[in-house]
Amino acid sequence: MSSYLKLENIRKSFNKTEVVKDLSLEIKEGEIMSFLGPSGCGKSTTLNMIAGFLEVDRGKIEVAGESVHLLPPHKREMGMVFQNYALFPHMTVFDNVAYGLKIRKVKKQEIRKRVLEGLEMVRLAGYENRYPKELSGGQQQRVSLARALVIKPKLLLLDEPLSNLDAKLRQEMREEIVDIQKKVGITTIFVTHDQEEALAISDRIAVMYDGRIEQVDIPSAIYNNPKTDFVSEFIGEVNQVKGKVLEVYKDNKSKILFFGKELIIPSDSSQDTMLNFFIRPEKVQIVNFRNTEEDTGIEMKVDKKMFLGARTRYFLKVNGEQLIADISNTVLNPSQIQEESTVIVHLNPDDLLLRKGR
Amino acid sequence: MKKRLPKILLNFVCTLTYIFLLAPIIVILSSSLTKTEYIVFPPEGLTLRWYTELINHPEFMESLMLSVTVALGTALISMVIGTLASLAVVRHEFAAKALIVQLIGSPLLIPSVVFAVALLQFYSWIGMATSPFALIIGHVIISVPFVMRLVVASLVGFNQSIEQAAMNLGASNSRVFFQITLPVIKSGVIGGAIFAFITSFDDLTIALFIISTDVVTLPVRIFTYMQYQYDPIITSVSSVIIIITIVLMIFIERILGVGKMFASSGK
Repeated sequence: MSSYLKLENIRKSFNKTEVVKDLSLEIKEGEIMSFLGPSGCGKSTTLNMIAGFLEVDRGKIEVAGESVHLLPPHKREMGMVFQNYALFPHMTVFDNVAYGLKIRKVKKQEIRKRVLEGLEMVRLAGYENRYPKELSGGQQQRVSLARALVIKPKLLLLDEPLSNLDAKLRQEMREEIVDIQKKVGITTIFVTHDQEEALAISDRIAVMYDGRIEQVDIPSAIYNNPKTDFVSEFIGEVNQVKGKVLEVYKDNKSKILFFGKELIIPSDSSQDTMLNFFIRPEKVQIVNFRNTEEDTGIEMKVDKKMFLGARTRYFLKVNGEQLIADISNTVLNPSQIQEESTVIVHLNPDDLLLRKGR
Repeated sequence: MKKRLPKILLNFVCTLTYIFLLAPIIVILSSSLTKTEYIVFPPEGLTLRWYTELINHPEFMESLMLSVTVALGTALISMVIGTLASLAVVRHEFAAKALIVQLIGSPLLIPSVVFAVALLQFYSWIGMATSPFALIIGHVIISVPFVMRLVVASLVGFNQSIEQAAMNLGASNSRVFFQITLPVIKSGVIGGAIFAFITSFDDLTIALFIISTDVVTLPVRIFTYMQYQYDPIITSVSSVIIIITIVLMIFIERILGVGKMFASSGK
């Protein structure tokens, strides 16, 4: 599929502070793409430029081959859902959803039909005559989604739509949004600072930091093969560990000293350099005894353990260095591991993410 | 017993406040019914004579009509200017903003007699004759700050993303203003207009200075009448004003529910 939405070298500054720095991105038709990043990374600014609420300082925005960056927001045919729902407080649910259709001078009967269909889709049939303040947060957000979708927009823009909802509702709503998005097949941009949300719903994720896109990829690739240090640290949790290069081999491999053990990893660093690695806590494996005499596991002391429901977090120590391990409680019963006891830790060299210094 | 004391005190204070607020109205209304040739409270005997007597004083009715006209004009103009000014102040940054805001609000700080003298000076300087319109301008200047207070208050709590949502759905700027912004801040705007109406209707000081034989508002009429006579016709005129005001308030409350909106500032 060719790209449907194209952002070309767009830039935006506020009071001489550059918030979006030369950002380019292509989104395919029917795709759900997340903009993920910490607050201030420029994700909302980018969304607002796509919607037309902010003008681009430089660059181009194209939707389906037509450039739209010079159009005012009301001519861009985009459906937006806001964090604070942004329903019209003086209108009923019906009138809220019908608003865009009335502006388009759709016939009354047709409006009625499409509004009722829209409300049906978000499971709010029968709420037509309520006012927004009579609805719960989740219901308001569903009305807002119906309102954006009934005009059959070219793009669906979701600006942190779930942040104001409580945890349980948030999960329900995100499944619902994905269901509806797939059913309608609309190209969607989902702005969020919640990585779990982004990993769960996106076809692809654009991780943003400091006005730039750090990496665009499918969720599993973002998680397992982060391209930059920022992505490694921002997505999921990481242990930061050090290793010293002992010996360099010809085929871009090195032997390194790591928690007192020798490991062979792919690396082209020169001898004696200190390498920094990330490793995710759930990739650390521990057992409470050596299987065989040849077991190459590293001995570490359990400093502290923390029960987290489905898993347990172990704080391990060796030679003054700390390592955190998250182990599923079905794999290892936490009652078998006592604090202050010694365990054997296994690390798979493939799970070590080499810190790139950028 | 100890827990009931605050409640008793509260009721006491409330009752006192009500008496304080309502007493003048009750005194005026009841003394307009007196049979005596002079104003007295409590009234001696009961008669509607002072109301029929009003017919013999068409100048009171003329002044009432003038006052209402001036007040309506003031309300309308202040409402428009005040709302636009509030939008500018809340939504936009511009040069000397603080200064302009202070300037608009200054009539609240200046004694109205000083303002009235200044206005009179200004009018004679530019050669403007006294007219209902000249009076309206004066009243607009003193009532715009009230309109702005109320409209700014309803704009501050205004969630601007609903305007973006409307634009996003295809609404042009003017459509957004009339279909979204204005309906949402309506309570502040109408409240401001009512304040402007009352400010104008109530004004004696400025009207006294701008006065000519054909521009005599009701407060001025009552004031000048009282300097020479002190008969109960004053109380019957005042009672008519009170009754009109009560009817107006009930009407507004029924139609717009402004009381409710004032309490929740239009959210």
